[in-house]
Amino acid sequence: MSIETRTDDRERRTLVAASAQRARDRRLATRDLVLSIATPILLLVLWELCARVEIIDPRFFPPPTRILAAGWEMLLSGELWQHTAPTLMRLAVGGGLGALAGIVVGLLMGASRALNAALGPLFSALYPLPKIAIFPILLMIFGPTELPKIIAVFITTFFIMQINTVSGVWAIDRKLLEAGAAYGARGMDRFRFVILPGAMPFVFSGLRTATGTAVVVVTAVEFTGATTTGLGYLIWNSWQLFIPEKLYVGLVVIGLIGALVTTILSRSEKLLLPWRRER
Amino acid sequence: MSTASPSSAVVAEDVSKVFFSGTDPVWALEDFSLTLEPGSFTCIVGPSGCGKSTFLRILGGLEERTVGEVTLPAGEDRIPAAFVFQEHGVFPWMTVLDNIAFGLRMSGVGKAERLRTAREWLERVRLADFADSYPHQLSGGMRQRVAIARAFATGSPVLLMDEPLGALDAQTRMLMQEELIALWEAERKTVLMVTHDIDEAIILSDRVIVMSGRPGTLREDITVPFDRPRSFEIERDPEYSALRARVWDLLREDARTAEETA
Repeated sequence: MSIETRTDDRERRTLVAASAQRARDRRLATRDLVLSIATPILLLVLWELCARVEIIDPRFFPPPTRILAAGWEMLLSGELWQHTAPTLMRLAVGGGLGALAGIVVGLLMGASRALNAALGPLFSALYPLPKIAIFPILLMIFGPTELPKIIAVFITTFFIMQINTVSGVWAIDRKLLEAGAAYGARGMDRFRFVILPGAMPFVFSGLRTATGTAVVVVTAVEFTGATTTGLGYLIWNSWQLFIPEKLYVGLVVIGLIGALVTTILSRSEKLLLPWRRER
Repeated sequence: MSTASPSSAVVAEDVSKVFFSGTDPVWALEDFSLTLEPGSFTCIVGPSGCGKSTFLRILGGLEERTVGEVTLPAGEDRIPAAFVFQEHGVFPWMTVLDNIAFGLRMSGVGKAERLRTAREWLERVRLADFADSYPHQLSGGMRQRVAIARAFATGSPVLLMDEPLGALDAQTRMLMQEELIALWEAERKTVLMVTHDIDEAIILSDRVIVMSGRPGTLREDITVPFDRPRSFEIERDPEYSALRARVWDLLREDARTAEETA
């Protein structure tokens, strides 16, 4: 009887200690979340105060509330959308088609030794060329239309996706390629059930890199004066006219676009590649 | 040699495999011949680098032979030989069920039929609750059960196993050996299995083929006398110890050489 009470007692104390440990872990997790949200808010507040009391020059660093007000005004007048829509279109068409072409060519090069021998060295040589440097040539060929801007984004995305996809195919475990062969996966079956899913993790990491680079290129292209629309133009023009609030609005919106696309990509990766979850 | 329906036997005649390491030719296999009776379980043991895996891969069509003849039983539209790899052989992007059904899907079996067969095998390897799981959610032993079920599910008359239990811990390995015996005794496929574990070879097989070091040649063809159905009970038989010692004697010299030249 007394032994039984003692074991009960010990079991209870162990459980209490375990719950305390769990409570501590949860507290730490909550603290991390609060910190990650509080830090940027704190910095914004600090910026606001410093600009108001003119510790920093409000002409260069207008307080966040004024940027927000300018943004709201531009939203209501339609000016913001007038610049956001063309940038989105260039990113979607140029980036979308570039990614698609890059993935397809990358898969074909990864699967075909001959194709890789023919195109691999050429693409590797072209890859480090700054794509923005050929923009004048594109302008020369296509004139001041949408086409050269879309092509600049297309080329950027294409190369990143092509290279990442080829690496993805090569990174597939040899055992899995052999398992595919041993169970009779040939031709399109091999492509669909082995090569494509095997390369997907690299395809997604390529898409994230390509998004960042495509946003840089579209902004740079819109800086050049080859257009009077787009967030890049908005930023550049606001600088020339010295309207820093609008400049910051352009900056924030382009940043949001990048963040949004990246979020969509990681969500769809979780959805499309459930076998990579929990890793 | 084989009297009973020689058409369904696996026959390899004078198979050699030579590859080049720099400018020097390396003989991985030299004039290796082997005939497997239909419905027999055969294990190949040999020192590392003796070409036992190479031979298995040649039979499975994963590697080209330099010279020699290989005959597999002619199946209808099925895969002539189903392969079980040591590890990492199941597709991480397919659920357990799709992995098991994969061979059937590749040989054009309709969806309803292949899923029914796959579910049946899922039951038989006690993974019914894991049909929709992905391989990374399973333990190493469970993953190998998927790999084994995938091979059996193809319905192929020949199974080629390349150290299928080699990456498992000792206890899981013994459990899996028992399971493999039971599955095979129920199915009686022609199995050729490469292993480096002498006990495993004796417990599982009807015949143990001992290979010499590189270049791989057949050193001894030993018939295992124990009755089936079998269990680990046979380890207590004095005949078992004698057999084990005999295989080890054959291997010892080559194993040491392989170890020192590796």
